[in-house]
Amino acid sequence: MGQAALVAAAEAPLLRVAGFVKRYGRRSAVKEVSLEVRRGEIYGLIGPDGAGKSSLMKAVAGVLSFDAGRLEVFGIQLDSEAAAERVKGRLGFMPQGLGLNLYPELSIEENIDFFARLRLVPAAELAQRKERLLAITRLARFRSRAMKHLSGGMKQKLALVCTLIHEPELIVLDEPTTGVDPVSRRDFWLILSEILHERGATALVSTAYMDEASRFHRLALMLDGRILAAGRPQDLRRRVPGVAVQLRAEHQAEALARLRSVFAQVQALGAWIHVFAQDRDATAAEREIRAALADIALHEMFSTEPELEDVFIASLRQQDPHAGAMSAAVQAPLAAMAAAADGNAIAARGLTRDFGEFRAVDRVSFNVSRGEIFGLLGANGAGKTTCIKMLTGILPPSAGEGSVGGIDMRHAGRAIKQRIGYVSQAFSLYTDLTVVENVRLFAGIYGLTRREAGERLAWTLDNGGLAGYENETAGSLPMGLRQRLALGCALVHRPQVLFLDEPTSGVDPVGRRQFWEILFRLSRIDGVAILVTTHYMSEAEHCDRLALMYAGGIVADAAPAELKRRVTEEAGSLLEISASPVLQALALLRSAGYPDAALFGEHIHLLARDPDTAGTQLRQMLAGAGIAVAHIGRRPLSMEDVFVHYVTLLERGGTLQ
Amino acid sequence: MNLARVLALAQREWREILRDRIYFLLAFLLPVMLMLVFGYGMSQDIENIAFAVVDEDHTPLSRDYAHHFIESRYFSFKGYLPDADAADRLLAQRKLRLVIVIGPRFAEQLRAGRAAQVQTLIDGTFATSTRTIQAYVEAINLAANTSVRSGYLARRLGLPPERVADLLHPVVLEVRYLYNQEVRSIWSVAPGLIMLILMLVPPLLMALSVVREKETGAIYNVYSSTITRAEFLVGKLLPSVTISCINAVILWLLATLYFGTPFKGSLAFFGVATLLYILCTTALGLLISLLVRTQQAAMIISLVMSIIVSIQFSGLITPVSALSGGNYAIAHAFPAMYYNEVVKGAFLKAIGFEALWPQLLVFALYALAVFMLCYLLFRKRTRT
Repeated sequence: MGQAALVAAAEAPLLRVAGFVKRYGRRSAVKEVSLEVRRGEIYGLIGPDGAGKSSLMKAVAGVLSFDAGRLEVFGIQLDSEAAAERVKGRLGFMPQGLGLNLYPELSIEENIDFFARLRLVPAAELAQRKERLLAITRLARFRSRAMKHLSGGMKQKLALVCTLIHEPELIVLDEPTTGVDPVSRRDFWLILSEILHERGATALVSTAYMDEASRFHRLALMLDGRILAAGRPQDLRRRVPGVAVQLRAEHQAEALARLRSVFAQVQALGAWIHVFAQDRDATAAEREIRAALADIALHEMFSTEPELEDVFIASLRQQDPHAGAMSAAVQAPLAAMAAAADGNAIAARGLTRDFGEFRAVDRVSFNVSRGEIFGLLGANGAGKTTCIKMLTGILPPSAGEGSVGGIDMRHAGRAIKQRIGYVSQAFSLYTDLTVVENVRLFAGIYGLTRREAGERLAWTLDNGGLAGYENETAGSLPMGLRQRLALGCALVHRPQVLFLDEPTSGVDPVGRRQFWEILFRLSRIDGVAILVTTHYMSEAEHCDRLALMYAGGIVADAAPAELKRRVTEEAGSLLEISASPVLQALALLRSAGYPDAALFGEHIHLLARDPDTAGTQLRQMLAGAGIAVAHIGRRPLSMEDVFVHYVTLLERGGTLQ
Repeated sequence: MNLARVLALAQREWREILRDRIYFLLAFLLPVMLMLVFGYGMSQDIENIAFAVVDEDHTPLSRDYAHHFIESRYFSFKGYLPDADAADRLLAQRKLRLVIVIGPRFAEQLRAGRAAQVQTLIDGTFATSTRTIQAYVEAINLAANTSVRSGYLARRLGLPPERVADLLHPVVLEVRYLYNQEVRSIWSVAPGLIMLILMLVPPLLMALSVVREKETGAIYNVYSSTITRAEFLVGKLLPSVTISCINAVILWLLATLYFGTPFKGSLAFFGVATLLYILCTTALGLLISLLVRTQQAAMIISLVMSIIVSIQFSGLITPVSALSGGNYAIAHAFPAMYYNEVVKGAFLKAIGFEALWPQLLVFALYALAVFMLCYLLFRKRTRT
């Protein structure tokens, strides 16, 4: 092979997808998708459930056949099962579902050994690789612990080790971070980057979290089986020029309505309003906002770089002008609900729940008042659902007490149930019944009269934007609509308190915004107290107040902006550093007094008390070590930063590490 | 075929089975439980039938007659009752299964040479046992008649009673039951149960173990690795077949030692036949697991198949030769029927290779055919 051929081979994409189509029966899951992944990069697929990410990834891993188009891995066309077998030795695949592909009864080490033996890794090499990977993932201490006793973050790391044990050239990871706590997620991204860098391997990774975009070298935004946009994260942000403006104004609901008449993308975030001003710069946007608000008093306003989600929705609107717009029904005022009791709508005092040896919820206390949206933010297994189950009277607490609408939940199960609505994590509707039948069923369960049931049905259809879907079965609706139907059913008896357990998991960004819009109106206009749980860090900003949950306890509890302010006070502002080689820069920063510096794709994030001076110092330090620094700038703190800060504090204070 | 990969798979599976309490119980407790429960349940020997007597005559003759029943090992005498109403009540409460009512002029009628009336009340809710009780009652009644008659004749003719008995029964029917000399029904039931349980449990275990991996997504470890289809299928079959072999030994011990069934045939023949039969039934489970997605479906399909085949089409209850066209064909399409011949032969008839080698051939071909079908159906690159 000549020099030119070698170079060409190195530059040829490792994965080439062209016109890829996958159908399940009559439904098209992936429609004409084309993309290329180059050697050595981390390529991301971002999109909600049903976007087609998993289908595409399974096909790349050679475990799913497809219907049209070309798929080339390592230059081999995957057009048959036999061809697919040829690439499997050089490929690692981690399916969706946290640690579900692992074997719960086996220990960490036995799991790794099994994967290695399945891949015929020689014993000597296995021993060496295993030690190294266990050391990097800090799992070595737990090597004989059964997989079923691991935390979510540990399962995820073990799954990664098992996928990497045969040293694949291409690893395909399907939603490896969903439901994992942010600290473990940061850890995971760093480990992945280090290993890939060291071995020159390539990764195709999917995620449902829009805010993980900056972790990738390049990415594709997927929705409904298509790629909306693809490229480097910074390029995607620039595709739709504009600026994001955050503001706080008197009469939030009215301000929201006025801004909507000028801007296409406006949403409420707790006490704040978030505006994406397309094709405008900060000055123009702020001027127009002032003009639109007219006599409404403006408390605070500042502009930031737009979020990828703003861009995602803007891209959608370019293709379909109605996408992302709030339906008229949603904007129409709702019927007034029964007045709630004064004082705290929900109160928890020292709520604790043990399952055998395991303490799922540990002395949790909080209050939620009427008209407030209160969020419980945490990873899978942090105790969010158990909290809700105790407050709704489904699960008796081991200790502590709680009241809903002023009634002690331990003594008044039925009375409480008349006052609350509950949308559970698992889809709570009857999927074989139609929209109308579901609403009527819930109306019947709560003993509504015929006339009331008719009224509530009309309200649900109107409020949820479900008109036109009356006779569809619930199972056939898209996720966003289903969740609005579930919400309607939970509200059929006009409760004063609403519990929502991860209502937006798997819903696309547009659907999520519409859902939050309904919650906003319920709280502001009807005065319903809302307790909502989520593992989407970015979504937590919609809440008036937040409690961060970690390992069963509440780590911090305040308004999102207040939490960010406290972190800035305690630990400093966020600096973004673009340097090359980035891993070397990271190692240097971590040893030079920034142990929490985190890797985001090609950038490093760290908290610095005096950002301007720190920036200059860091630039000098990195340059002194021969590292090229392209840019150092400030970035706004995200909820993830806040969460990581508090959990790290807790871990350092709580255990001797 | 790479043995290292097969063993990796089989050993992992084996470890999981030993550590997963529910699966372990299913694998090792279920067969024993079925053997004990069905062993007692299907045994048709009826002894210790609770009964009482209403004696409205109160004479030595009526007491003599009652004693014929009281002394029988089939009946358990609960006492005399004052009247038929009391008998009705106790029958309704299921405290008694049988009541003998001896009429008020029993002795007088007999002495006058007329037929005396005796009424039997039998709880008829269990059809088979009712018929058995009726047969016992008739037999004892006959014996009572004979003794009354021979006593009378002996006195009148001055002959010894034994001589009179011979005169009364010139033809004596002598029955000899072959293969199961004591007609203990457990002797024929226990071998049949081995057939039934080895038709029921191995497919269930096998189907669950594959479908469980499909449900969790662990099957993708297999799909995405370089293990071949045949290696996977063999690696999956091995642990399951091993469990069933252990169970076969336990069941054999239960049948011979606990239920006391005689084993007259060749252990070597029985061992080979059982191993082949287990291969067949386990492969059927593998086939089911490749066709369904959920554990519930796997469980229901394998249980329904196994129960229908092993009870209806195996010769366990109705001999296969008595089945009509379609059913006769179905019976021949499953291994249970052939194995039923094997267990009956090995336990009770002392026949082995020389007579039953065609059955072994059927098992071997059957297992191979089902395995090939699995191989063709199993895809590492699926459509959904």
